[in-house]
Amino acid sequence: MAADKRAARLGVLALVAALLFGVVGVRLWFLQTVQADSLQQTVDARKTKVVPLVPERGRIFDADGRIVAGNERVLTAAVDWDVISRDTDRAELFTRLSGWLEVPVDEMEARYDAGVYSRYLPLPLKEGVSEDVAIAIGERGEDFPGVSIVEGWRRVYPYAPLASHVVGYMGAITAEDQQHYQDLGYDTSVEGEKVGRSGVELSMEETLHGKWGQAVYEVDANNRIVREISFEAPVNGMDVQLSIDLDLQQYAERLLQTQLRLKRLPGFAVPNPEVEKPDGTRGPLDPTKAVGQRVPYKAPAGSVIVMNNQTGQISAMASYPTFDNRWFDSGVGSAKFDQIFPRQGPNGEELDPDLSALTNRAIQGQYNMGSSFKPFTAYAALATGRLGPNTTYNDQGTYKLTSIADDVCAQGVRCVFRNSTCPNPPGEPCRYGTVNVTTALAVSSDTFFYKLGEEFYNTPGTQLQDNVRLFGFGADTGIDLPFEFDGRVPTDELKAQLVEDSVLAQGETKNLQPGDLLQMAIGQGLMAATPLQLAVGYSALANGGHVMTPRVVQAIYAPETPDGLPGFADLTQATLVQSIAPITRDIPMSPELRDPIDAGLRRNILGPGTNDHSTTAEELFADYPAGAIPVAGKTGTAQGRGNYPWNDSSAFAAYSEDPEQPYTVVSYLEKSGFGSTGAAPVVKCMFLALSGITPLDPVVVSEPLDTTSEVPAESLPNVGTECMASTNAGTIRPQD
Amino acid sequence: MGLSMLQRKPNSGLGNIRSSPADPSRNIDWVLFLAQAALTVAGCFVVFSATRVRTADPYTFVTRQVIFAIAAAVVMFVVMAIDYEWFKQHARALYVATVVVLFALAAYSLAAAGTVLAFEVGPIQVQPAELAKFTTLIALCAYLSEERGDEVSYARFLGGLMIVGLPMVLIVAQPDLGSATVLIAMAMGVLLVAGAKARYILSISVLSALTLGAAFIGRLVNPYQLARVRVFFDENNPDLEKEVYQVTNAVRAVGTGGIFGKGWLQGPLTNGRDIPVIWADFPFAAVGEQFGLVGCAALLLLFVVILVRIWRIAHLSRDLLGTYLCAGIFTMLLWQVFQNIGMTIKIMPVTGLPMPFISYGGSSLITWFALLGVVQSVHMRRMR
Repeated sequence: MAADKRAARLGVLALVAALLFGVVGVRLWFLQTVQADSLQQTVDARKTKVVPLVPERGRIFDADGRIVAGNERVLTAAVDWDVISRDTDRAELFTRLSGWLEVPVDEMEARYDAGVYSRYLPLPLKEGVSEDVAIAIGERGEDFPGVSIVEGWRRVYPYAPLASHVVGYMGAITAEDQQHYQDLGYDTSVEGEKVGRSGVELSMEETLHGKWGQAVYEVDANNRIVREISFEAPVNGMDVQLSIDLDLQQYAERLLQTQLRLKRLPGFAVPNPEVEKPDGTRGPLDPTKAVGQRVPYKAPAGSVIVMNNQTGQISAMASYPTFDNRWFDSGVGSAKFDQIFPRQGPNGEELDPDLSALTNRAIQGQYNMGSSFKPFTAYAALATGRLGPNTTYNDQGTYKLTSIADDVCAQGVRCVFRNSTCPNPPGEPCRYGTVNVTTALAVSSDTFFYKLGEEFYNTPGTQLQDNVRLFGFGADTGIDLPFEFDGRVPTDELKAQLVEDSVLAQGETKNLQPGDLLQMAIGQGLMAATPLQLAVGYSALANGGHVMTPRVVQAIYAPETPDGLPGFADLTQATLVQSIAPITRDIPMSPELRDPIDAGLRRNILGPGTNDHSTTAEELFADYPAGAIPVAGKTGTAQGRGNYPWNDSSAFAAYSEDPEQPYTVVSYLEKSGFGSTGAAPVVKCMFLALSGITPLDPVVVSEPLDTTSEVPAESLPNVGTECMASTNAGTIRPQD
Repeated sequence: MGLSMLQRKPNSGLGNIRSSPADPSRNIDWVLFLAQAALTVAGCFVVFSATRVRTADPYTFVTRQVIFAIAAAVVMFVVMAIDYEWFKQHARALYVATVVVLFALAAYSLAAAGTVLAFEVGPIQVQPAELAKFTTLIALCAYLSEERGDEVSYARFLGGLMIVGLPMVLIVAQPDLGSATVLIAMAMGVLLVAGAKARYILSISVLSALTLGAAFIGRLVNPYQLARVRVFFDENNPDLEKEVYQVTNAVRAVGTGGIFGKGWLQGPLTNGRDIPVIWADFPFAAVGEQFGLVGCAALLLLFVVILVRIWRIAHLSRDLLGTYLCAGIFTMLLWQVFQNIGMTIKIMPVTGLPMPFISYGGSSLITWFALLGVVQSVHMRRMR
């Protein structure tokens, strides 16, 4: 064999080897010297993944520590978009996941195609994954590339629908709010970030919210986490304790609903009265109905407030109709939601305001308070020296304006104002005879206050308005709940505005007339207030001139208060961050000012009346037990549309005379008749409950929301009506 | 046979004069051996650096690699102790056994409708393709060395092609294109040295290209394998992002190492998970990032030393069989090193070919130790 040939051939091999190594060497040289720096830059800019870490929202407790708003941990299985961009990969992964997640492949594909999920966050495949499955998927990372278990929280309201108006509900950040929340430091780009939309959920949003954390990871080509670059733990939200006592709240809500239901019964229906028309003839008040035709009360809505008049804390705040705040996170579609919470009537007309369940009437109802406003007129008269405690007036049932000339009156301007009608003689106004401020309050003489109203009209300035404003009328009370209405105190500017806005008839004079001040003096006309403002005003009368800022939140605790008994947080283990101190504003309230008013309000409850007339609340409170909290209060009946009696709204405000149990209770029932028969029984029952005489049913955790329901909230059980005794239409004197 | 070569002869005080200079045990190529040992040790370090963050116990991979190396060393000593003529005598049996195993695997692979590259034998995976590299080499060399001529005849050339072709087709069917290319490289090297005409070599090339083309067209190839090859030609295709990312990061790892590297256990890519299966497929990236151009050059130098020694032994061999064996091993090693480094620095498409002695994996390590055992065997017995 020719060794030289073989050597030559081996040489070819060596040559090939040298060539290949040469290529490798040149390439290496190029990469590691020439390109090293630019490659380093690309490495530094490698892919990272930012995972937002959700904080647990602070919880809301009632006064006893019941968890009225809590959180449920929710695990969501999600998959990175990159991993499923290829059809085959996706089909394979979904098939593998389907059994674990118990979600059909088609459903996962539907989510993939839905186009509603953010491309920057993993695609959620199933919410509410069990812990076991979550762990199993976590351990099989190689089998489920890009699949992660995202931890989140779901807001739960264990005692819903109790106190829904106070607790509120959550919702997404709207376009209008976006800037606001950005300014607060919220990351509005986080998908699914929910904020409080009403109630304490909204007013305490920043306290409850906590702070998002974030983890930044370096990821590989499969978007799998390679390592952690930075980690900022989320800060959970702080817990909030309400002053609301859920036992009392439950009773208040049931009581309110019971009374409204009662008032709708045919037995309470009122007849269409016969009246003298301006042309001198007599006929039915409502011309569409015969004289004497009985019309039932609609009694559509109302509210009750129990407030501690020493601290301003609200123990109960009920508004009817109510709603279940779980609807907002119930997963029902928007069609169903709009059906439950309609924004307009069935024919596209404006929604009947009587039906709006989301309105918290205790702070958003802007009402004429009727006679229950009279103590503040009395205060203004006493404070301005217009009235002494013993100044008397002879009430003969009518009051004729003196500041308008007779010839003007003859042209049709209303100059004569009457008391309400008494049954005997029929159709005639009540005559109370000689009254002073105390008796005028006790029997609710209108003419006494008409006279004061005209006197204020004839005095330069706005003494009446200024003095009632001292009690907080016409301005926000400052309660820690959103969307409070500030009510109305009549002024020339206000009237001009109302005329301009066509709220009042176009022909109305643009400045206040004597009649306006007369109406204001008895809480009618342009004077309007919320039930809460009335409660604050009565509290200032009760506590000697301290106008309290009402509060539903009493304390803020550090995050993660441990649980106690089922449904409760263990407040003994809680770390107090802030106890909400009472805020007061003092107004003049010398005994000379307070005593005649207080005596009048006490006499309104206890009697006696005057001139053969009993006081307005006397009969109702006749069976009020001696052991119960002593109260002073005032009825109010606000006339409604057309002055039809069935449109009368019912008000009652009362405060405790016992400084150990310093409660003020206000109730207002729309279109429910006289104050003494509508709202007053509610207040009386509340005081009996506060006295411990009416036992309160214990509050229990609610059943889950029935999403097949078609009402905002299920009806509550009725409470016993014994405490409403004498709310029999037949025995009640048609008196305010 | 036996392990007599490992036993030193008694020292008579006059040096080892009782043993002949031609005694196989006195003719071990220590340069080759040391270069191989150095590479293997370096490989263990590379495997450690590339796997320590992957497992709870950072030593999991490297511990197994050391055990593989010890096992491979035992195999190598056994092979060295055997006269390579013995392999020639048993070439037929070895070859038939290999083909049977490959058939079995191909059947199993078809039944499983997926890629099956290994049999599970207890805890160990046996890759028949690795075995085939060894036995096919022996069968081809044995067959060609029977014809004592300066140039291989056309008939024997065809016979040689068939010897290589059968296992190659079976390996392509697995499908394991990487191993198939190693067989092609080996066949070309052996046939070249055996004296095949240029046109024969050309026809092998065409046939190989056709086989691989058919494999692609016939979808014998896995989608991921296809994707890996497509990356090389179509790197901007968004569908291939994952594969591109792997290669891009391998290139980045090597490049960012610069001249001196980032240092032992340094470098985000070696320590990260950006380069899938870096310990088996892209160990060169770990070397490049940590040790830079200097480290790469040192590694390449060790391979060059080994290649030069094999080439030298091919020269020294007094029989055709030894020369052919060395030539085949030379081309296999050259091809596999070039292919592995080439895919790491993106001058070759990605195949799953491991880097000899460096990559993690028992089958590869044992095969290469055995092959170098054959080379040593040729060297040890060159003077008989």
